[in-house]
Amino acid sequence: MTTVNQQSGIGASARFSLRPTLLVPVLAVAFAAAVGLMLIAMIGVSVPNAVSAFVDGTIGSPYSLAASINRSAVFALVGFGFVLANRANLTNVGGEGQIAVGGIAATAVALYGHVSGLPLGLSFMLPTLAAVIAGALWGGLAAVLKVKSGTNEVISTLLLSFIGVWLLYWSVQSTALLRKPMTSSATLPESLEIPDETKLPLLTGDYSFPVHLGLPLTLVLAVVVWLILSRTILGVRLRAVGLNPVAANRAGISYAKTVMFALLSAGALGGLAGALMLLGEQYTLKDGFSSGYGFDGLVAGLLSRGSIPGVIAASLLFGFMRSGGINMEMVAAVPTALVVVIQGLIVITLAGATLFIEKWERR
Amino acid sequence: MSWELFAVFLGSSVRLAAPLLLAGIGEMVSERAGVLNMSIEGMMLTSAFAAAVGAWATGNPLIGLLIAIIAVQPVALLQAVLSNSLRANQIVSGIGINILVLGATTLAYREIFGARSRAEIPGLAKVKPPLIGDIPLIGSAVFEQVWLLYAGVALIVVTALALRYTSIGLAIHAAGAEPKAVDKSGLSVTRVRYACVLFAGFMASLAGAFLSIGDIHTFTEGMTRGAGYLAIASVIFGKWRIGGTALACLLFGAATALQFQLPALGVGVPNALLIMLPYLLALLAVGGLVGRQMAPATLGEPYRR
Repeated sequence: MTTVNQQSGIGASARFSLRPTLLVPVLAVAFAAAVGLMLIAMIGVSVPNAVSAFVDGTIGSPYSLAASINRSAVFALVGFGFVLANRANLTNVGGEGQIAVGGIAATAVALYGHVSGLPLGLSFMLPTLAAVIAGALWGGLAAVLKVKSGTNEVISTLLLSFIGVWLLYWSVQSTALLRKPMTSSATLPESLEIPDETKLPLLTGDYSFPVHLGLPLTLVLAVVVWLILSRTILGVRLRAVGLNPVAANRAGISYAKTVMFALLSAGALGGLAGALMLLGEQYTLKDGFSSGYGFDGLVAGLLSRGSIPGVIAASLLFGFMRSGGINMEMVAAVPTALVVVIQGLIVITLAGATLFIEKWERR
Repeated sequence: MSWELFAVFLGSSVRLAAPLLLAGIGEMVSERAGVLNMSIEGMMLTSAFAAAVGAWATGNPLIGLLIAIIAVQPVALLQAVLSNSLRANQIVSGIGINILVLGATTLAYREIFGARSRAEIPGLAKVKPPLIGDIPLIGSAVFEQVWLLYAGVALIVVTALALRYTSIGLAIHAAGAEPKAVDKSGLSVTRVRYACVLFAGFMASLAGAFLSIGDIHTFTEGMTRGAGYLAIASVIFGKWRIGGTALACLLFGAATALQFQLPALGVGVPNALLIMLPYLLALLAVGGLVGRQMAPATLGEPYRR
C-alpha cells in the first residue's frame, strides 16, 4: 500500500499549465450537476422549482448566505489539512472524526473549563485551542501508527473517524460526560448550550447575517498553509517525503518528523473545523453534528488537486451546494441525498480523469 | 454467564461475523491480486438495498438475492475500470463510489419506501444442519443460521482450495506479487485483476444481502455503517490469508455481539464503548499486532506494461 497518490507534484506544475487542471474539475462538476438535474426530473419534481429552492437556500437571504459561508469555511479547513498531508503523499480521510473530537473538546472546555469570565476573548479562544489539540491528537495517532508500524493512514484515519463519531455519541448519551442534566425522561441526548461568552463573535454582530470569526480565521490560515507549502523549508520537506521517502531520508529529511507534522497539522485543522461548527453555529453538542462535513472537506481537498485557491473554490461550491440541498429538501421535497450523489460523481469522475490529466501535462 | 447465554453469544457472533467474512474473503482475493477496493462498503450497501427492494417487490427473497448479485456487478466493474484501465487512485475512487452509493441508495429508498417506512421484507430462511445442529445446549443457538452463511462458507472453502492448489490461485498471487512475471508468462495482469475485483463484488453482494434480507429483514439508510471498512481491516489483520481473515472477522463479530450480550448480563459497560469496540480492535489490529511485510507487493498500484 505504498502508492496512495500521484498528485503531489501537480501543484507545482499547475501554474505553468492551468488548462487541464482547471478544465477537468469544471467539467466534472458540470457533468455531476447535469446528472443531478436529470435525477430531480426523474423523481417527478419540477426542475425550475427545485432550482429556485436551491438558489434561495444559498443566496436567498442574508441568513442563508451567511450559513453557506460558515459551512464553506469548515470544509475549507478540512480541505487545507488534506492538501497539506497529501503533499507528503498521505491521504487523511479522518476529517469526520477530527471534527467530532474537536467539537467534544470545545464543548467540554466551554461548559466546564471556567472560561466564560476570562478577558481578551480567551473565553472562546481556549475552547478553540482545546479543539485544535484534540484534533491534532486524533491525526497524530494515525501518524504514530504510520511511523511505528507502517499502518496505512487511510485505514487508520478511517477507523479513528468511526471511533471519534462514537465518542461523540457517548459524550452526549452519558450524563457523566457532556449530556445535560436529566430533568425528565424527555431530556434530549445533547449537551447544555455553551455560555454566550464562549461563542465565536459574529462579524456584523447581527444574527440575521451570522458570519462568525471563522471566516477571517480560515482566510488567514489559507495564506499560512499556502506559505508553508510553497515558501518554506517545511513545504520542501513535505514534498520530498511525498515524492521519494528514501531519497528524502538521504538528503537528511526525517520521514518520521515530516509525517508527524503533516498528520498533526491536518488533524489540528479538522479539530478547528469542529470548534467553528460548535462555537460558531450550533452552540450545543449533538450526536451526528459533524455528519458528512469531514467527507465534504476531503472531497474539497481532492478536487483542488493540491492548490489552496482550489480548496477555497471547491469549499465554496460544496458549502453553497449543501445549503441549497437542505432548502431543496424543505421546500421542493428533493432529498439531500441528491447532493451526496453529485459529490460522489465528482470524486469518481476526477479520479478517473487523473490519467488524462497526467498525459496532458507530460506533453 | 450460563451455557444458554454463552451459546446465544456464540450464535450472534457468527451471525454478525458472516457479512464481514463474506466480504472480507472477496476483498482478500482482490488484494492478493494487487487491487485495494475501498468500495467494498459501497458494494455491500448496493447489495443490501437491491436485495431488500427485490425481495420486497417480488415477495421472494431468493429473487432479491439474485437481483443483489446482478446489481453489484456494475459497481464492481466501475471500480475495476477505474483501478486498472484508468489507473485511478484506488483509495480515492473507492471512497468516491461509496459516497455515490450512499447518496443513490438513500435517494432511491426515499423514492420507493418514503421517508420513514418500516416495510416488512421477506427474508432468507434459516437452516439447522444435521449432526452439529443437534448438539444439546449449543446446537440450535449456534448453528441455526441463514442458509446463505453455509453457502458462503462452502464458497470460501472452494476459494481457499483454488487459491492454494490451482493455476488460477497462482496467477492471482503472482498478479499481486510479480505482475511483470505474469505478463511475461502470457497472461494478462489486467484481466486477472478485473476478474478478482468482480469476484470481490460478488462476495460483497452476498454480504450485503445477508445484512438486509438475511439478518434483520429491512433496509435502513447507510445500513452497512462501516462494515466494508471492517472487512478490509480484517484482511490486514488476517495477513492476507483465508484462515487469518476468517478469524479476524469472527473476532469483530464477537466484539459486536458483546453490545447485545453484556447489557443482558447486567454488566454496566457504556453502550457506545461496546459499539466502538470492533473499530478499536480493528485499529489495534492494523496498528501493531501485524507487520506490514505481508502485504502483496504491488497492492494499490495500477499495473503499467
